[in-house]
Order: sequence, then structure tokens, then C-alpha cells
Amino acid sequence: MASNIKYPENQAMYFIEGDTLALITRVDSSGNGRTSSRKQWKAISEAVTRGLLLHYYAEPNSVTSITSNLDIDNALELAVVDYVKKCLYMDRAGSSPDAGVMQVSMNMASKHERNFKEAIQRYGVRKKDKTGGSRVVKVPNLV
Amino acid sequence: MAVHSISVKELVSRVRLVFPGAPENYILNLINDALVEIGTYKVKVVHGMITTVADKMYYSLSDVSEDSAGNKLEVNQVLRVYLMDNEGDYIQIPRLIDKNLLLGDITSEDNLNAPD
Repeated sequence: MASNIKYPENQAMYFIEGDTLALITRVDSSGNGRTSSRKQWKAISEAVTRGLLLHYYAEPNSVTSITSNLDIDNALELAVVDYVKKCLYMDRAGSSPDAGVMQVSMNMASKHERNFKEAIQRYGVRKKDKTGGSRVVKVPNLV
Repeated sequence: MAVHSISVKELVSRVRLVFPGAPENYILNLINDALVEIGTYKVKVVHGMITTVADKMYYSLSDVSEDSAGNKLEVNQVLRVYLMDNEGDYIQIPRLIDKNLLLGDITSEDNLNAPD
């Protein structure tokens, strides 16, 4: 079902406040402009099924069993191995009574933490960047 | 051409080469921790749809909020928002920078945090 808003680009706006997305429009449920200039921008006046389309960065799906697959680009999968090993080495360092084992485990934990941070924080976005080709600027027609 | 990727099973095998006694559930929890950490960076773009409600201004983007099909949105950062026009097309709408609206419309709101 379509809405009654003819020009959403200049009759509607959104803003993010904390954990919510606020949608405001300046038309009534028939698509006519609101008469009061002071109270022009209000919540949308109509229910529109699948009316809002969001493009957003989301969290990868969690894994629930050993047969699951990782919901990330394969270029980043090795970082997960590093993260798991880092945690396990830290556990070993914290639980071992042997000072030598503890020291080696801490070193290995640091190494895997470095690997993880380099893979994700420093190169993560660049490694899986799929942008290419010549560039163009598309100026919107606001008429 | 086949793409090489690591399944959870293979990941557990790699870990168990060094930690043979590591419990499977614990490794799965650690994998999920890693995915949450990785998710804070820009690794997954999703396109979700929400049904608007008459006179409702605020739409939840919390971890438990759902799209119009009942799937979890799992939003980390909103890139763009489109609103359906009178011909059924999605048109991009601008983001309001100055949020000091004169009118605070609280009709039909269920996503406002009231003091408790």
C-alpha cells in the first residue's frame, strides 16, 4: 500500500535519538500540507505497510551450533580464530600455577590480540572494501 | 570458482589443536563475543523495512526491535532512510540535524523511556 505523501524528500525527515528513529512529516493523512505553520512538523499521520526502508550497518548473526557458518566476509574469519585463541590463552595464564606457562600464555594472548586488532580495527574495512570504478556525483533534483 | 571460508566446525578444530580440552559451548560463546566485537565495525550492510503507525513519531532501533516481517533489525548505525511515496516508490528522506522541534508529539508513542 502506497502512502499519501507525494514528495517525501521535502515533506518528511528523520532523526536518530538514542535507540529510536523519529519520523516527522508536514502533511496530513490525505497528503495535504498542515495549515498551522507553528505545528507543521509532526509524526506521520498514516500507517504505511513497509513504508520505511532503512539501509544500515548491522551486527553479524550469532552462531548457535557447531554446524553454523560465520556471518562475516571470509577475509575476516581468521580474526575470529585469533580472538578465541586470545581468550583461551588468557584463561590458561590466569589458571596456571606455573609461572613459566603463565608468561608464555600471556605472550601468546598478546600476539593473538594484536592479530585480531590489526585484522579488524586497522585493516578490516579496507580488506573487504568492494568499492571500485570511476566516480560520479549525482546531485538530487530538489524541485 | 569456490570461495574458501571457515565453518564453525573447522574453527573449533583449529582451536582444539592448541586447546584440546576446550568445551564446545565455551568456544561458541567466544565466537559470538568476537562477532559482536567485529560487528561494531562496518562489516555488514542490511536493508530493512518498517511499517509506519499513524501518529507515531519514534520507532525503536534497539537490539530487540523487529522489521515488518518480524525479523530482528540488529541496527548498529543507520546509513540512509527512505519513505514510500504515493506511487509506492521509496524516496530517500533527509536527516534532521537540529532536533529542537517546537512540537513534541507523544500521541501513540510506546518507545519513550518513562522514569521508573
